[in-house]
Order: sequence, then C-alpha cells, then structure tokens
Amino acid sequence: MSAPLVLAVPAKGRLQENAEAFFARAGLALIKPRGARDYRGAVAGLDGVEVAYLSAAEITSQLAAGAVHLGVTGEDLVREMIPDADARVVLVEGLGFGFANVVVAVPQAWIDVRTMADIDDVATAFRQHHGRKMRVATKYVNLTRGFFSDYGIHDYRIVESSGATEGAPAAGSAELIVDITTTGTTLAANGLKVVEDGVILRSQANLVAARTAPWGAAERELARVILDRVAAQARARAFREVRARFAACDARLLETAREKFGVVTPFGGPTSSGMLTLHCPPAEVYALTSYLREHGAEAVAVADLGYVFSKDNPLFAKLEAGL
Amino acid sequence: MDARATSEAKGPDARAEALVSAYERAGYARLSPAILQPAEPFLDLSGEDIRKRMYLTSAPGGGEFCLRPDLTIPVSRDYLASPAAGQVAGLCYLGPVFRHRKGEPAEFLQAGIESFGRADKAAADAEMLARGVEATSNYGLASPDIRIGDVALFAGLIAGLELPAAWKRRLIKDFNRKANLAQDLERLMLGGTNGRPEYQGVLAALAGSDPKGAHALVTDLLSIAGINAVGGRSVGEIADRFLEQAALGASTRLPRDVRALIERFLAIAGDPDQAAADLRALAKDANLAAALEPALDLFEHRTGFLAAHGIDVKRVRFATAFSRGFDYYTGFVFELTDPARTGDPLVAGGRYDELLTRLGSPQPIPAVGFAVWIERLAVYGGGP
Repeated sequence: MSAPLVLAVPAKGRLQENAEAFFARAGLALIKPRGARDYRGAVAGLDGVEVAYLSAAEITSQLAAGAVHLGVTGEDLVREMIPDADARVVLVEGLGFGFANVVVAVPQAWIDVRTMADIDDVATAFRQHHGRKMRVATKYVNLTRGFFSDYGIHDYRIVESSGATEGAPAAGSAELIVDITTTGTTLAANGLKVVEDGVILRSQANLVAARTAPWGAAERELARVILDRVAAQARARAFREVRARFAACDARLLETAREKFGVVTPFGGPTSSGMLTLHCPPAEVYALTSYLREHGAEAVAVADLGYVFSKDNPLFAKLEAGL
Repeated sequence: MDARATSEAKGPDARAEALVSAYERAGYARLSPAILQPAEPFLDLSGEDIRKRMYLTSAPGGGEFCLRPDLTIPVSRDYLASPAAGQVAGLCYLGPVFRHRKGEPAEFLQAGIESFGRADKAAADAEMLARGVEATSNYGLASPDIRIGDVALFAGLIAGLELPAAWKRRLIKDFNRKANLAQDLERLMLGGTNGRPEYQGVLAALAGSDPKGAHALVTDLLSIAGINAVGGRSVGEIADRFLEQAALGASTRLPRDVRALIERFLAIAGDPDQAAADLRALAKDANLAAALEPALDLFEHRTGFLAAHGIDVKRVRFATAFSRGFDYYTGFVFELTDPARTGDPLVAGGRYDELLTRLGSPQPIPAVGFAVWIERLAVYGGGP
C-alpha cells in the first residue's frame, strides 16, 4: 500500500532540526531514503507515512486545504493564514519549541503610550492632527486587524511588510509595528517597546491536523500510532519517576503528595513490600523527596522517563473529536 | 463559491432602471464610475475592517486596487476630478459593488444618489430621505420603517461639556463606531485608567506647573535622548499628550452629573418633534443651549421639510443614539427597513460633510446621499 498519511515537516533551519529531534524523541525517526536533498521522506519502521518537507507557510496552507493530514507549524501562521482556523484544523499539541509572541510595539520615545487604550487615543489624535491614519507595519494583517478591532481601534492603516518590520518606524514607513519577538532584543535594538496589553498571541510550534484531509481507517490508525508515541513522550517529559520504599506510606500521605506536588501514581499505591512509584513534575521533585523522607522513607530514587504509555491516548482522542 | 451576482443571471432589473431614470428626470446626472478603483481611499475612509470584505489586487508596478465595495467614494472621486468640482451637483448611479458576504453573492447591485455642494442642508437632507422612500415605493413598499439619527447632536453635546480633550475624542469615536459607549462611560466613572505608576512622581510634579514650561521641559528631555520625529509623531505631539495625561491624572473621574446628562441625552428617542422638545429641555437644564442650538435648529428645520415631502413625521423613529457605524457621517443619518421583516436596511444614507475634504478637496463641500440595495428590494412584487 502506498503512503496514505502525509506528515508535513518544516524544510529548513531551526524549525526542521527541532521538529526532527521532537519526532526522534518520540521514537519516530524521520528518514530520507532517496538522499538528503529529497523533499519527500518517511518514518523509520512505520510504513504508510509519507513525510513532506515544506516551508512553514506552505504547511499551513496545505493543512487548511486538507492536502496533508498532519503538519508541524507555528500557531501564529495558523491564526494568521487560515480564516476560521478552528473549523479547518485541530491544534493537537504544542511541541515546546519555536516559541514566539506576536506583539504590538511602539517607539520607546512614545512615553505617553503604555496600553492599547493609549494607542486608540493616539490613533484618533493622529488622524485629526495629520489628516491621515497612523500606519502599522506587519506581516500579520489578519491578527492585527482582529486584535485592533477587539480594542475598538479603527483609525489606522496596515502597511504590509515582509521582512525587517522592526525597522519600519525608524525608516518612516510606519508609526508602529506588529511582529513576532522571542526575547524582545531586536525590538529594543530598534528603539521599540512592547505595549503592556499588546501581546496578540503566545505562539509555539504545534502538531496540527487538517480536518478536511481524507481520513480513512488506515490514516486514522497511523495517526493513532504517531500520536500515541508523541503522547507517551510528552508525558515522559512532563514527569520524573520517583521511587521509594517505606512502611508508613498510606492513602492520606499520597493524597497530600498529589495536592502539594502534583504527583500522579501510575501504578496505584505502595506494593505489599512497601515499594512506591510516583510521577512528579520536575520542578517539585526535590520538595517531594524531602517530604517523603520526613515521613519515613529511607531512600528515594529519581530517574528520567523514556516513555509513559497509558491505556488512553489523549492526543488521538482530541484529533478524533475534531474530525 | 460562485461570486457572480444573481442580477446578471436574471438580466437587467427593469425596476432598478426605472428608479434611476426617475432620479435622472429629477435632475440627478447619472454617473458610471470605474469598477476597478484604487484601494487606498476605501481603506483610509472606511477603515481596515473593510479590507477583509474587499476584493483586492495589486498592479504589476505596485499600488493596490480593488473592485469597488461601494459607490459613494467612486462617485465622490469622479465629481472631484470633474470641472464641476466644488459646485452644486446632484449625481445618481446604478451598478454592481463587490464585498465578501457570508452566504450571499459577493457581487450585488446598488443604486443611489450623492448630492454635493448644497448649502440648504436641512432641505437637502429631507429630500434624500424622500428619494429613498421613492426607491422602496418603486418596488411596492410605500411605507417602510424610517429610522433617523443625527450625529451632529452628540458632537454638539460633547463639545459643550467641560471634559478633558482626550475623553471627548474617545466618546465621539465610540459613538460613531457604535462601540460600547455605556461600557466606556462606566470605565471613565471608575477613573484610574490613566494611572502611570512609573511616571507618577514626574506627572504629579508637572501637573501644577506652567504648561508652556512643562512642554519645553518634556521636549527638551526627549531631544537630549536624541529623539526627534519618531514614526511620524513629532516630539511636540508626544509631549502634548504626555502632559494631557498628566493633567488627567490617575484620580480624575467622569463626574456623576455629566454621566447622567450623557445618559439622559442618549435615552431621547421617539418621533422627531417630541425628541426636539426633549432635547431643548435638556439643553436648557444643562446650560448647553449655545452648544446644541445650531444642530437643533437644523434638526427642526429638517423635520419641517420631511413633512413638506409628504412623510408622516409621527411614523419616523428618531433616536439620539442611532448611528450607522461609519465615522464619515457628520449629521443626518437614516435607514429604511421593512416593517414586516427586521434587519438589513433596504436604503441607507446620511450627511458626510468632511468626506470630500478627506478625498482631497481644497475647500469643504457639503455632501449628503444614500444607497439602495437592489436585490433586497427585488423580492417585492410591486412597482412598474
């Protein structure tokens, strides 16, 4: 059988590296059997999946059109490029890389502007004063329009910018900008500041499913396998395994551990010999070990997890619900 | 989706042609502006929100063009480019316009009139409404619901109130845009929205000082920082607004009585004669006679002309809060709808005295007009 399920992965740069690393961690090695220059690949050991290497923008439009089943792309592109995005695609899972915020930024010299309400007022005053509308440089035309409209801001014009948007105010081609930023350094270097309530979207790379792609039984089964592994890996990443053996462990103690440290008990309570296995969020591990020792545990071992497979498959459930 | 209009499929609408012929006989010259228009004036005058509803394209050499989303701006531009620019001119049109609309064809027909340069505004306003009723009658709907408003009344009220300039701008904008005025009033009542913790000390120090000196200080500080004009706003503008905010302060609130007055004003509705009496009473109580007088006089004259056109004034529903949601209207606004059906206007229009200036006219030219949705009327069986 030829490849029924198409998985689109970014073809270039950091996003490609991160996406490949992400799938590799989930036990899904992306391979290019016909050579590194090929834009078609496969998943090692999983027949029936075709990997399409495309640009992030292309992935987004292919998802919208239903031409690929699953794809890795930024939520910023999904929200910008796909009208009524939730009806066309399902954002299955944030992948933990490609973080970027889409923000409204104004010149630092605008000491009178801190909030979107200020921008609204400045926009109205600008038109009265200059007889033209304030210009916003951005490549996020739709996100900008929606966000400004939510704040009741109408006296502005969008100037489409395909690159180096942060330079527009200094170049005199716009008064302010809407752009992505990760650390804010580029904005600051260009004399811009982010407006306090001006974060339009906190974006990251997402595994996205196309609702309108042909989802037959074979495609669904392949998606189930992929998402099962992704979920097992995601769950493994979210926890450390904490093992201890102590007699004094009881239900009340476990309840407290759940409440205080967000612990889960994948295998239930302690065994007859007093062995206890807990999964704990990484940030709480030390506090949990202290707590266990205070209550009588002799030794506590903590280990990283490779995969945590569970009976249910929450990501696939989310996909199924969306199709 | 098929974007083509039903109009062409059905062939020319004889009743629409008859309507426009009647307008021509009444002295309105027919104009057929280009279907492909520069996008700039529409985006500039109607706002970015219209962009998502427009059919945009770009020329190979640069420049954005669109299929005209309405005919008011194209007719106004053609008028300004003609030798008659600046003179009194009555123009009419019939033709397709193009907008993305959910579940409706993107291409649809509009007819209408634009009247430029008439100084007798009350009479011109009333005539437009009468011509609008002529349009619905042409299709067999002789007594449409008539809703009217007058943007100039709210502008007069706000101008007459003792409020910070920033608040005046905001309230006028909210009103024009049909934004939630009530919610904004609530926010202004609470105050504190202008709180700027990081500059609080400086602002407090400047608040009581000589305005000229404070302005000089702020512009100097910005200049020392090496800042001149940034992104089209001058240092002077930034300093002005900074100090305006300082004057507002974190503790400034909309006085209770002012809010009550605005709410009393916005609650006035009914037939135009009763509304005018209520508005006169409000102006007298609030000592705003001088501010509201010009708009009220025009309002009452207009009502007189409406009656003279045979319109049953008792059936006209006026509301001070009625606006059409476009900020280019400056006075009279109206909508005709079907009493048996609610919702979409069949005819809508108003006065837009600043539009031609914004389109580049060197002198202000008064303007009033309306548009007729032909397909919405075509469902009626009446007419010639």
